[in-house]
Amino acid sequence: MSSNPSQLLPSELIDRCIGSKIWVIMKGDKELVGTLRGFDVYVNMVLEDVTEYEITAEGRRVTKLDQILLNGNNIAILVPGGSPDPE
Amino acid sequence: MSGGGSIGSGGGGGGDKFSGGGSSSTKTPSDFLKSIRGRPVVVKLNSGVDYRGILACLDGYMNIAMEQTEEYVNGQLKNKYGDAFIRGNNVLYISTSKRTLGDGA
Repeated sequence: MSSNPSQLLPSELIDRCIGSKIWVIMKGDKELVGTLRGFDVYVNMVLEDVTEYEITAEGRRVTKLDQILLNGNNIAILVPGGSPDPE
Repeated sequence: MSGGGSIGSGGGGGGDKFSGGGSSSTKTPSDFLKSIRGRPVVVKLNSGVDYRGILACLDGYMNIAMEQTEEYVNGQLKNKYGDAFIRGNNVLYISTSKRTLGDGA
C-alpha cells in the first residue's frame, strides 16, 4: 500500500520532521517556530525551544518557551525546516 | 465518550507511523501530559490570556486543574486564584516554565 515511494501521506511528512525545526502558522495572526518532538492524530504537537510570534496592532510580540504541547485545533500550515526569518 | 480524548488514551501505539513512535527523542502529546503533572506551567488560551501556576491534573481533552494560578492579560498580572479549572477547548498551548512563579511578565 504505502510501498510506492512517490506516495507520501501528510502524516508521514510531519513524521519525518520529528527532531528538526518546524514552522507552525496558526489561524489568526500567530506563528511558532520550534523543534518538533512528536504529534498525534489531531496534529497536537510537542515542540521544544519554541519562539512564539504574535502579530498585534502594536507590532510583533515574541515569546520564548521551553517545551510546549500545542493544540492542533488552530494550526493552519506546517513548514518543515523552520522560519526563513533569521530570528 | 467517543472522539476527542485521544491524547491521554494513546497507550504506546507501537509501529504506528502516525503516532510518531519509535525514536528515543520522540515525545508524543500523551508522553508530554504524563511528564508535566505537578510542575509549574504556563497555559495560554485562544483569547491570548496566560495562566501561570502549578499543574495539579489534566486529561486528554486538555482540561486542566491548576493551583496557585496567576492570570496575565497582555503580560500584566490581573488576578490570582487558589485553584482553577480550565476547560480544554480554550487551551492554545501548555508550556513548561523554567521561570519561578511570581516572576511574571
